[in-house]
Amino acid sequence: MSKYHNFMRRPLTRREMLSVCKGGFGSLAFMSLFGLTTFSCNRSSGIALDSNSDLYRGPHHLPKAKNVIFLYMDGGVSQVDSFDPKPRLAKENGQDPRKKFKVDATQFDNVGKILKSPWEFKQYGECGMPVSDLFPHIATCVDDIALIRSMTSQFPEHTNANYFLHTGSGLQGRPSMGSWMTYGLGSENQNIPGYVVLDGGLIPPGGLDNFKNGFLPASYQASVLRAGPQPVANIIPKEKIPNLQEQKLDFIKQLDNNQLDSVGEADAIESAISNYELAYKMQSSIPELTEFKEETEATKKLYGFDSDDPHTRGYAAQCLLARRLVERGVRFIELTCPKVSADRWDQHGNLKDGHEKNAHAVDQPIAGLIKDLKSRGLFEETLVVWTGEFGRTPFAQGLNGRDHNPSAFSMWMAGAGIKGGTIFGKTDEYGYRVIENEVNIHDMHATIMHLMGIDHERLTFRFGGRDMRLTDVHGHVIKDILV
Amino acid sequence: MLSMLLNITAEGPSDVLLFFGRIHPLVVHLPIGFLLLAALAELASKKPKFQPLKNYTHYVWALGGISAFFAVLFGYFLSLSGDYNEDTLFWHKWMGIVLMIVAGICYFVSKKQLKLPFYGKPILISFMVFTIFYTGHLGGNLTHGSTYLLEYAPNMIRRMAGMPNKAIPRKKVTVLDSAEVYLDLIDPVMQARCVSCHNNDKKKGGLDLTTYAKLMAGGESGDAVLPGDINGSDLYRRITLPETHDDFMPTEGKPPLSEEEVAMIGWWIGVQAPSDGFFVELGPDEEVKSMVEKYLGLDKNQLLSKQMGPASKVVVDSLIKQGFNLNRLMIDNYFLEANFSLSEQPLTNQALATLVELKEHIIWLNLSNSEIKDGQLEQIAQLENLIKLNLSTNTITDQGLSHLGQLQNLESINLYKTEVSQGLVENIAKWPKLKRLYISESKVDSLTVEQLRQKFKNLTIQFD
Repeated sequence: MSKYHNFMRRPLTRREMLSVCKGGFGSLAFMSLFGLTTFSCNRSSGIALDSNSDLYRGPHHLPKAKNVIFLYMDGGVSQVDSFDPKPRLAKENGQDPRKKFKVDATQFDNVGKILKSPWEFKQYGECGMPVSDLFPHIATCVDDIALIRSMTSQFPEHTNANYFLHTGSGLQGRPSMGSWMTYGLGSENQNIPGYVVLDGGLIPPGGLDNFKNGFLPASYQASVLRAGPQPVANIIPKEKIPNLQEQKLDFIKQLDNNQLDSVGEADAIESAISNYELAYKMQSSIPELTEFKEETEATKKLYGFDSDDPHTRGYAAQCLLARRLVERGVRFIELTCPKVSADRWDQHGNLKDGHEKNAHAVDQPIAGLIKDLKSRGLFEETLVVWTGEFGRTPFAQGLNGRDHNPSAFSMWMAGAGIKGGTIFGKTDEYGYRVIENEVNIHDMHATIMHLMGIDHERLTFRFGGRDMRLTDVHGHVIKDILV
Repeated sequence: MLSMLLNITAEGPSDVLLFFGRIHPLVVHLPIGFLLLAALAELASKKPKFQPLKNYTHYVWALGGISAFFAVLFGYFLSLSGDYNEDTLFWHKWMGIVLMIVAGICYFVSKKQLKLPFYGKPILISFMVFTIFYTGHLGGNLTHGSTYLLEYAPNMIRRMAGMPNKAIPRKKVTVLDSAEVYLDLIDPVMQARCVSCHNNDKKKGGLDLTTYAKLMAGGESGDAVLPGDINGSDLYRRITLPETHDDFMPTEGKPPLSEEEVAMIGWWIGVQAPSDGFFVELGPDEEVKSMVEKYLGLDKNQLLSKQMGPASKVVVDSLIKQGFNLNRLMIDNYFLEANFSLSEQPLTNQALATLVELKEHIIWLNLSNSEIKDGQLEQIAQLENLIKLNLSTNTITDQGLSHLGQLQNLESINLYKTEVSQGLVENIAKWPKLKRLYISESKVDSLTVEQLRQKFKNLTIQFD
């Protein structure tokens, strides 16, 4: 069959025949009884309220979080310069790391001397969590934050590490965690996609495949909203005659439905129909969303709209948008980093300059977001996650950079169900390796899902002959950071 | 060496003996294996195919006999510790010795290939096998208690063994008022933490903690519990020692009592260690109450342990048509979240009336930005199972809130950007379980907030 005729009627395969005969009639009757449709295209009404059927979509246990805001620190923040102070680095600054501990191969094989952090750490909050001077605003929120200092990744390189962080697999093509969440829980809002990526200017290495649906139905892929006046391409209708667009879409839908009738289930067609519908609705919902008319000056100031730094202003708008999306019932919102004049957080050289610029862009908006969510009562049902894809070495790359380090990094979570002021896990005296309570990416996924009410072992999708999971065969919920 | 081994003084057996004694449970499994194997080999060698085995079985009997000797020896050392039921011990010891002797006879018969008269050999071996099982069973009773084996057996089998039917476990306490002080609080701790060593058969330190009477009878070192005297009660002293202390209980690496369990026992001894009566009638203070609630799992919202059936399809559909989003909250129960904050339609009284039809199901309700009015809250008041209520960004006032006094399960209420003010102090007192209150951007002044913080210590108030 040529690829242009993918949707021709084809005879029933043996497997289909068996599965139809096995439970087909029974389940058809069951579905009509409860007025259910298959969930694959239903973004909002797909949650089976009345049945215990396989079609159940919704949390397994009472959720703590209804939404996730995933603050992705693209490039890998240096843990020893942000949340994991290591006085020994200052003592041994300039010495040869190879004489102190075993040094793994690094990406650029340009191992320099042990490099102390250019920033001072101070203790903040009632919990006394140390935070470096890079994040003076986030430091005011430490009593709401559970810090994990013992994160590890499997990949020392951006693209694979990004896929791993986003999809639980280092290879391209698996569904992103946001897709899993919306697949598992559905979305409450029929006019906005359930999984939104707010593109601050930097799409991470690995590209849009970080946000794809993989083998899940295509309705669950992320919709990327760009920063700026037109967040989605072609959001303003081109048709000059009223109703013309509607008529066109109706006609396309009719043709699609005809085709669908003749081939039975086909995700590509079903998802195309629902994506057209959603895109139509987004023409009105997105402009309303991205205009901040009803936001007060005080709120905007809290996020940093009045900053001198255009990147802070840009990220502030993204964070405010994230809160607005939470209010509109969007399940999973990821923010990518703004494009500051240095690189992403990936400071192979000029650590001080680059980290300072990146931190300045995100620090105030993130703190503003947490405070705003709190005062609106949204913080008790929103999980905020802050992480990079790996950490950085405690020794220099060249003179003043740091290379990639997947053996240890810091991340934090705050909000729904999180025990604020907690520090979990430990690295060695150099911050180079995890020595206590290692948390890997699968554990992080399992924990996020747990807070969303999902048992990560039970949310599966049959593909390639087996029941696939976001956490594959791994993952433990980190109970110590939960309330 | 001999003098050392026999160094059984008035202080009890020496450490060396007890050291070997504790190896008994390991060694004891060797003769079981060897002797059963030998018996099996004897049986098999009747077949022509296994005929040649005949020439080797006496080696296996020898191994069995030798290991039985060591098992008996070490078992004797262990028995010197005196922690066991004497009756059972007597029979276990002598059956073990008989077993060793019979194993020796079997070796002799097998080695000399003697022909015994009248099925002598099969009878001898059958006796041997029976002795193994019976001695083993007695040993099991000594370590695990005589009820261990049939604890979970069907009642029919238990009756055959002359045991009573399985005790119907006490019903789980669901209301604090119905908790019996000994049966629901103290006894479960004893059962979970102490009874495996302090029972009728294995009376470590002469102490048996299976019933109230036996607990009060005490053990070798006197009374375990002195009613009203925490410091004089040996049981309390031992569970509160540092874990490394020799006298610390539970010993042998068994998990220690939790903080609540220890505190509960301390409190119980303090109120004269009564054998019965309701917990609440003993006048516990708030701290003790909340601790006991935590121990019984009553601090979680009891509502959620109720099983809720499916909601009516017609009502659900009608609500969706009227602008509500309804979400299931768990897979094995039918509690619902209702959300009107995303609706594009106005909120009608009709919609609220329909909502009330699901008053048992709805535990979370979001009416943010729904233009709900004070008067309409009267309907909301009927949703008695509400745990979370979001009324933010509406023009409701204290007067509207006063309708909501019936919401006894309420844990979180969001009044962000509403017009509530000083009246809040009175209204909040009506919600016993309230934990979180959001009143930023409302008409509440900081004086009222201060008052609220004073009055409701466990309440988290978000106000800025």
